[in-house]
Amino acid sequence: MSTSRQSEPDDPSANEKWAASLLLDCAKAISEKDSSKIHQLLWMLNELASPYGDCDQKLASYFLQALFCKATESGERCYKTLVSVAEKSHSFESARKVILKFQEVSPWTTFGHVASNGAILEALEGEAKLHIIDISNTYCTQWPTLLEALATRSDETPHLRLTVVVTVSMGGSVMKEIGQRMEKFARLMGVPFELQVVRVASQLGELKEEDLGLREDEAVAVNCIGALRRVGVEERGDFIRMLCNLRPRVVTVVEEEADFTSTRSEYVKCFEECLRFYTVFFEMLEESFAPTSNERLMLERECSRSILSVLACDEDGGGECDRREKGSQWCARLMEAFSPMSFSDDAIDDVRALLKRYRSGWSLLPAQGDDSGLYLTWKDEPVVWASAWKP
Amino acid sequence: MFPSGTMSNSTSMSEEASVSSDTRAHDYNNSMGSLCTPISPPYHQQQQQEPQPKAKKKRSQPGNPDPDAEVIALSPKTLMATNRFVCEICNKGFQRDQNLQLHRRGHNLPWKLRQRSSKEGVRKRVYVCPESSCIHHHPSRALGDLTGIKKHYSRKHGEKKWKCEKCSKRYAVHSDWKAHVKTCGTREYRCDCGTLFSRKDSFITHRAFCDALAEESARLMAATTDAAAATAMTTSISHPLLHHPLFLPFSSCDYLPNPNPNPNCNTSPYQVKPHNPLPSLLHHLPTTISPYLSATMHPLPTTRSATISTAAGGQMGSSMFDAGDPSAWQRSDRLTRDFLGAAAGDTGEEGLLSLTGALGLDLVTAASCDRGDHAKHFVGFPPVTGTWGDC
Repeated sequence: MSTSRQSEPDDPSANEKWAASLLLDCAKAISEKDSSKIHQLLWMLNELASPYGDCDQKLASYFLQALFCKATESGERCYKTLVSVAEKSHSFESARKVILKFQEVSPWTTFGHVASNGAILEALEGEAKLHIIDISNTYCTQWPTLLEALATRSDETPHLRLTVVVTVSMGGSVMKEIGQRMEKFARLMGVPFELQVVRVASQLGELKEEDLGLREDEAVAVNCIGALRRVGVEERGDFIRMLCNLRPRVVTVVEEEADFTSTRSEYVKCFEECLRFYTVFFEMLEESFAPTSNERLMLERECSRSILSVLACDEDGGGECDRREKGSQWCARLMEAFSPMSFSDDAIDDVRALLKRYRSGWSLLPAQGDDSGLYLTWKDEPVVWASAWKP
Repeated sequence: MFPSGTMSNSTSMSEEASVSSDTRAHDYNNSMGSLCTPISPPYHQQQQQEPQPKAKKKRSQPGNPDPDAEVIALSPKTLMATNRFVCEICNKGFQRDQNLQLHRRGHNLPWKLRQRSSKEGVRKRVYVCPESSCIHHHPSRALGDLTGIKKHYSRKHGEKKWKCEKCSKRYAVHSDWKAHVKTCGTREYRCDCGTLFSRKDSFITHRAFCDALAEESARLMAATTDAAAATAMTTSISHPLLHHPLFLPFSSCDYLPNPNPNPNCNTSPYQVKPHNPLPSLLHHLPTTISPYLSATMHPLPTTRSATISTAAGGQMGSSMFDAGDPSAWQRSDRLTRDFLGAAAGDTGEEGLLSLTGALGLDLVTAASCDRGDHAKHFVGFPPVTGTWGDC
C-alpha cells in the first residue's frame, strides 16, 4: 500500500472495505458527472488496485477498469480487446484445467449440474431416444456423470443425442476437442451417442427451432446453465416461448443469483448490485482455492468482461449480453410458458451429498413462497439458483 | 443359523409359506393356505430321491428355471413379511421356523426339528413376482428361491427405506445397504493417467476429459493408420510463459497429485519423461470395457509407441539449451510440434507478449486521442500495464 498520503487525515486504504466505498463514490461521481471527483477517485483506485492482491485490491482493479471505460465511453472498444485477448490464449487445455479445478474446490457449477441431471433423468425415464439441448457455459462437464448414470441405472441403455449450442465467444477448436472427448467417453460407457454443435451467429436470442434439427421420435430436454442471462433483456420472453415450442419433457434452468436487469437504467443501483455479487464471488474464490492458484486468476479475469459489459457498455454495443436476473425474476418469466417441476427427494439428496464433499460454508435452500427451485448458499447468502420446468 | 442341508423344515402348518433358501425339494402338506397359489403346474415331475448323505444339488443356471418346477406366486404381503415366526413366550420374531424352534429350546419348551424327507412327487419350486409389470412376473422368468424373490420384490418394487449417509444412495434391502455402507467412500478411483480420486463424480468427469482416454483411443486407431496416432497425440498450445513447461502428452506435470513440482519439469522443460504415461499406455488393457469398444480393439502396437517416445526423447535431448532463451524455446517448441504433426501457424509467444505489454497503454492512449479536453487529464495516468487486459 502507498504511504505517500500520510498527510491525509484518514488513509482510505486502511479501512476494511476501502475498495467498496471508493468504487461506489466513483460510480456516484460518474452518475452525477462530477468530473474532478471522478478523476480523483479513479487516480486513487488506480494507485491501490491490483489483480494480484487481496480481494479488495482485485475488486478495485476490475471495477476500476469498468468505471474508467464508463467515464471515457470506451467500453465497447475495451470489451472487444478483452475478447480478442481471451480468444488468443484460450485453449482446450486451459479451459479444462480451470473448470475441473473449480469444480474440485467449489460446488458453484456442480450444484446446478447435479440438480439438473437429477431432473433430466427423472423426466426422461423409460425413454429410448433422448435428445438433450445444452445451452450452457460449463464446457460439457455436466455430461460424463449423466452418461454414467444412463449406462448403469437403466435396464435398457437409451440412445442419447446431445446438441450443444455455442455462441461466437467460445472458440471453435475448444468445442471440437470437447466433442471428441464426449464421443469417446460415451463409447467407453457403452451409451449410443451422437453429438452436434450448433453455432449461433451473434446473439443467443437468435437461436431458432430450425437450427436444432429435432427429430420426431425423441424425448427432448433443454438444459440452460447461465444461458438465459445471455439473451437480450427484451428478447427473453420470445426465447422462452421458443423453448416451449420445442415440446421438451423438461427444461432445467440454472442461473447465478444477482439482478443486473431491473436496475439497468439506474447506474448507481446497478453498480451496487454488481459489486455485491462479485464481492461474494471473489471472496468465495479466495476461500476455495489455494493462495497462488493460477486457475483462480483465470476465473477472476473472466469476470472482468462481464463486469465491463454490465457497467460500461450499452445494451446493444457491448457484444454479448450478460444481464443476470434473480431466481424469482426468472420464475415470473418462465411461468408464462411453463409450470414448475419440483426436484425429487432423490435429486435433492444427491445435491446434499454433493455439498458434503466440499468445505463447509455451502448449503441448500429450497425456494420460498410462490417461487420454485433450489438455491445454493454460500455463508447463508443465496448465490446460485437451480430449477426445473415442464410445459 | 443351521445349514439347511442337515435340517428339514417343520411340517407344522403355518399360515404363510415357509421355505429354506436352497432349491431342494421340500416336504409340505399340500394345503398351503390361501397365500400360496400355484399358477400353473405345467408338468408333473418324478423326483428321484438321493440316499443319505444327500448330494448337494446344483443350482440351476440363472434365468433358466427348471421347466418341470412348480410355480409359486406369493402375495406382496408374504414377500415383505419378516419375522413371522414368533415365540409365544417372549414375542421374539424369527425369519425361519427352524430358528424359532431352536430358540424355544432356551425356554425349555418342546421343540421339534424335522428332517426334511423327500417324497415322491415333490417338485422343485420357483417363484414369480406378483407385480404384473415386472419381468419376473412371467413363469419363464421365475426365480429359483424364496429369499431371491423376496429380495427382488423389495429391491424393485419396495420402498427404499435405508439410505447411505455419505452418498445418499437408497436401498430397500437392509443387507444391501449394510454392504454398501462398508465400502462407500473408502473406495478410491484411479485414472489411467495416475491420478487418484476419492469422489466418484470427480473421477468420472476427469476421466472423460483426460488425455489418457484420448490416448487410449488413439492407440486403437493407430493400428489402422499412422497418421491417426500422430494427430491424436497433438496437444493444443499451452503458452510456456504462462503455464507449465511445454505441455506434451508425455509430460505428466499436470497429473501428478503431489504438491512438489517434479524436478524434471522444472529444470529441462523439454525433456520427455520416460516413464509416465507411456508405460501405462503399453501395459494398459482396459478392464471394464464396453462390448462395443472391445469389439473394435486391435492388437496394441507397442513397438510403435516405444519408437515414438525414444525418438521424441532424442529430439528433445539434442535441442537442450539455456531455458532462459525464449526464442530457443520456440524453436524447440516447433520441432516438437512438427514431429508430433501439430498444425503450423499457431500464435507462439511473441503474439501474446505484445498484447500483454501493450494493452494497458493502448487503452490510455486511445482514450486520450479520441476525446479532446476531457481525456487530457487521463494522459497523466500512470500507464496501466498488462494487468487489465491479459487473460
